[in-house]
Amino acid sequence: MKLLVCLKQVPDSTVRVKVGADGRSIATDGIAWAISPYDEYALELALEHKDGDPSVTVSAVSVGPARARDALRAALAMGCDDATFVTGAGAEGLGGLATARVLAKVVAEAAPDVVLCGRQASDDDQGFVGPALAEVLGWPHVSTATKLAVAGDALEVWKEVEGGHEVWTAPRPVVLTVQKSEKEPRYPSLPGIMKAKRKEIPEKDAATLAADLSSPAMEVSSLEPPAARGGGKILRDGDTAALAEELVGLLRREAKVL
Amino acid sequence: MKIWIIVERSGPELRRVSRELAAKAAEMGEATALEVTGLERYSALPAVAALTEKAKSGAPDLVLVGATPMGRDLGARLAARLEWAYAADCTGVAPEAGAVVVTRGMYADKVRAEVRVGLPAVVTVRANAFALAEGAQPPEVAPVPADPSVDTLAFARFEPTASTGAKVPLAEARVVVSGGRGLRGPENWHLVEELADSLGAGLGASRAVTDAGWRPNEEQVGQTGKSVAPDLYIAVGISGAIQHLAGMTSSRTIVAINRDPDADIFKVCDYGVVADALQFIPAFTAAVKKAKASA
Ligand SMILES: Cc1cc2nc3c(=O)[nH]c(=O)nc-3n(C[C@H](O)[C@H](O)[C@H](O)COP(=O)(O)OP(=O)(O)OC[C@H]3O[C@@H](n4cnc5c(N)ncnc54)[C@H](O)[C@@H]3O)c2cc1C
Ligand SMILES: Nc1ncnc2c1ncn2[C@@H]1O[C@H](COP(=O)(O)O)[C@@H](O)[C@H]1O
Repeated sequence: MKLLVCLKQVPDSTVRVKVGADGRSIATDGIAWAISPYDEYALELALEHKDGDPSVTVSAVSVGPARARDALRAALAMGCDDATFVTGAGAEGLGGLATARVLAKVVAEAAPDVVLCGRQASDDDQGFVGPALAEVLGWPHVSTATKLAVAGDALEVWKEVEGGHEVWTAPRPVVLTVQKSEKEPRYPSLPGIMKAKRKEIPEKDAATLAADLSSPAMEVSSLEPPAARGGGKILRDGDTAALAEELVGLLRREAKVL
Repeated sequence: MKIWIIVERSGPELRRVSRELAAKAAEMGEATALEVTGLERYSALPAVAALTEKAKSGAPDLVLVGATPMGRDLGARLAARLEWAYAADCTGVAPEAGAVVVTRGMYADKVRAEVRVGLPAVVTVRANAFALAEGAQPPEVAPVPADPSVDTLAFARFEPTASTGAKVPLAEARVVVSGGRGLRGPENWHLVEELADSLGAGLGASRAVTDAGWRPNEEQVGQTGKSVAPDLYIAVGISGAIQHLAGMTSSRTIVAINRDPDADIFKVCDYGVVADALQFIPAFTAAVKKAKASA
């Protein structure tokens, strides 16, 4: 079975995101970048299948600017067999639909049984590219997947919904958007890192893939940090019952939320 | 502007978010509420096929869907099929010439963005984004029959999460009580549940708690969980890691209960209590009950 994971490099989850000078993008000077968290879960889910069955191959693909190569390097270090990098001027600032079309070209060439995307990328928070990729390919998709099992020629996919999981039987090929893996995403091992360093990451120029790079009109007009918080009232002394009464009083009379 | 709202039910009733959207759409333009019918369980392919067919003749400018698990699945694939613009998980929608300006979180909800979205477009909107007037009549809903045979996925079974005790869905709750590792173990969750019940609140959790399997994943709040913005968010035994804050700092009032006076959660709270949660929560629950009884 061939699995292909689509991953995006985004600001690391620990980054305190600041608005840039233009007021419509973020300040990227000196920030740390990482594989988007849900894409890490997608990688982990795929690699867990490889752990159990060495005939499984796991490939990774990313579309992005030069720095995004590091994300693929990290994916190789986690244990992916190979990686494809789509870059070049055409790969920057792509809309969601165009990204899906570019990824579809790579998928068509790799011909995997399952494509795994993250549930959403932690930069645009859209959750669009996975279902859109499935649409461009003409494949079904299952979103918010947490588990994948082989069932003969078909697959069983656990989809997290309110109150539990729906289990769906899916044909191959299929696109999944991943909510969570069974285990926490693994850390790259030292040998994994050494091996990944030596691996070549073939590069494709987005402009030469014969994909339509236009997307429907959408433009961020402004970004704003969340309203500043702080200066809260801290209650600490007194017996528990008195503190509880005081808190309830404040929530009623001052905050008016009770 | 011609607006469609794709509604969703919870049991026989329309979901609150569907009603919120219908009320908002009626203010913005010519609104039609539609419901995909004929499927035992929602699935994207038949639902999208039916709506695409209808959109050909109906030609809406804007399709609004609740940003529920179903809505975000349907909205994305429908927009891709129609090759329309798509904006997910919005908290505001304002019409403009040939476009809508939506408000939404970006970068794991760490910043608010205003995004100009060209029409036609599909937009998913969070619960509680628009007010619903007391006693507002539910909209009239027109069915859009879907053909289940176009699906290539087959539903096999439902595996419910072991009873969570949550009585109010987290995404729609006006009050949320979230517990963290400071609660020590799942055996203490009855304290959180009792507090939540006294407040009519939804239940949340930190990732430390969902990773440990103390609580189901769907209760996780934060960067890799749900983003919530209730009127009141109560964090109990949660340290306030940046990834947790990403999912709750837009709440109107934040209460933090933690025994460490230096915990980061106190930097974002409106009211903080430095106390042992296991002792404080029962007293808090009792005080809430007393206050409600005397109201
Ligand atoms: C990529 C990524 C994504 C992440 N996404 C999320 C996410 O979506 N949501 C999320 O929550 N986290 C997320 N995390 C994890 C996050 O970094 C923290 O590890 C997590 O939030 C910690 O959970 P906690 O506050 O319950 O536990 P801890 O950090 O261990 O804090 C426990 C707190 O309880 C207090 N305490 C202990 N005993 C008591 C007591 N008896 N009474 C009162 N207080 C007590 C302690 O003082 C402490 O402040 C993510 C991390 C990464 C790397
Ligand atoms: N530039 C990209 N390169 C590779 N995969 C991507 C890219 N953008 C989005 N994806 C995939 O699509 C998912 C959803 O992205 P989004 O629609 O941007 O939230 C991500 O989690 C990735 O798996």
